[in-house]
Amino acid sequence: MQSETNIDPKIIEQVLKFSKNVIEAPKLVSAPDEISLEVTPYDVVQEVDKTRLLHYTPLTDKQHKTPLLISYALINRFHILDIHPEKSWVRNLLEQGFDVYMLDWGTPTSMDKYLDFDDYVNGYLDSYVEHIKNESSAEKISLQGYCTGATIATAYTTLHPESVKNYIATAPVIDGWRDTTVISNLAKHMDVDKMVDTIGNMPPEFMYYCFSVLKPFEQGIEKYVNFFKNIENKKFVDNFLRVEKWLGDTPPIPGELFKQWIKDIYQENLLIQNKMYVGGQKIDLKKINMPVFTQVAVGDHLVSPECSMPLHYAIGSEDKTLRMYPTGHVGMIASSLSQKKVLPELGKWLLERS
Amino acid sequence: MHLMVSKPQALTSIGPMRAFTSNSKKISTELIEINELLGEFSQYYTEYYKQLADTWSVAQNKVNKKSQKVPQDAEQIDSLKRVWLDIFDNDFTELFDSGKFGENYGKLVSKELELTKHWNNITNVILQSANLPSKEEIDEVYKEIHSLKKRVAKLEVELKKKERVKNAK
Repeated sequence: MQSETNIDPKIIEQVLKFSKNVIEAPKLVSAPDEISLEVTPYDVVQEVDKTRLLHYTPLTDKQHKTPLLISYALINRFHILDIHPEKSWVRNLLEQGFDVYMLDWGTPTSMDKYLDFDDYVNGYLDSYVEHIKNESSAEKISLQGYCTGATIATAYTTLHPESVKNYIATAPVIDGWRDTTVISNLAKHMDVDKMVDTIGNMPPEFMYYCFSVLKPFEQGIEKYVNFFKNIENKKFVDNFLRVEKWLGDTPPIPGELFKQWIKDIYQENLLIQNKMYVGGQKIDLKKINMPVFTQVAVGDHLVSPECSMPLHYAIGSEDKTLRMYPTGHVGMIASSLSQKKVLPELGKWLLERS
Repeated sequence: MHLMVSKPQALTSIGPMRAFTSNSKKISTELIEINELLGEFSQYYTEYYKQLADTWSVAQNKVNKKSQKVPQDAEQIDSLKRVWLDIFDNDFTELFDSGKFGENYGKLVSKELELTKHWNNITNVILQSANLPSKEEIDEVYKEIHSLKKRVAKLEVELKKKERVKNAK
């Protein structure tokens, strides 16, 4: 008796190819520690505690007058803004003639568990803004905040408007009650007092858990299947590994800062109601009266557009712009779309005001 | 005779064993409380996995209904994979976004923290028996350092302001 099989030979071919790629992967890809995420050269111009101020080497003969300081998020590290020469946010701005500084929040240890919003806003950020003003002889600087870095930058801009000429809020975490992401659901049910009292700083492992519940199958399975399928594509692999290395490197968040962030933003939603206090001073968004550019990603599953957009309507500025892009949280800052659309628009806006 | 008997006791009065013995009651109490807590913890832990398993089974049923035929070629496998990913991602996101998940997860983490707290208490007893500072004592030092740093930073800002005024004159 002859057995008949209906399996498409293409399927067998694909399975064999995939298996071969998985076996050969260790020979074809670099180990994480062999990948350097330092793309564009910079100098460390100031250090306060574990934080650093980075000044990128200019790529043009002349720079625009007003320097730009980027306040990166508290989760993961600043490298995503300079992840690859072809997708670098920083490099693009340097090529447009901007003088770019970056704030590296460093790696807090157990000793830093009492660092709070006041330390970040009126301490580190203010100290670096003053340094840039002195170094560049500019009276004011342009400030960009990304994600949670934008929450800090927003608080800073309301308390020190005299130092900020232009403010760029990229996917800012502002209105926690409107946030529709899974993160906000977890945050709303968190006993953050007990958490910080017991474990101090928020450990990276907890952050990884929170991210793992975002699109778990697309991110946990499909992404890696694609990686093995494209193992022979050097450009794809290089990009993939860089982003993976960046994703796997998140510092702890100081306990007191985390507590205030969860309570004031996600649980009680004080920032958008102008009821949040930092260092004993009220954060009144109406005090933001300089030009403001708000960038929002429609497909953002970390900070939903509903959470970011209220900033545009709450501030006192007359010169304000809101842009929405058809991409995600990371796609807005490190993709071909960001190079072709987001950055040229930002550069044009900033140039007119620098 | 009395001195001979009491001498070994006197010898251990400053050693770690004496302190450890006197604190063993505290450790036992903590262990009993941990045991009670484990019951509550496993209740939320079971619920957590039950929610995941239920969502998985509902999602798998949806996939089965959508694609009842066994895929015959590579294209059909790809489209089945797409359907599977979409349904599973949607259903699990819906679960993680729900109040029932958030509430149970919050309680699960809370119980885990209580367990950690008891473990910290036991560690503190051992640290104290070895004449070492407890977690709370170290935390006090951290708090003091933080407050001192803040005061120094404010004084530095004040000093710079005064220097600027002086230079302007």
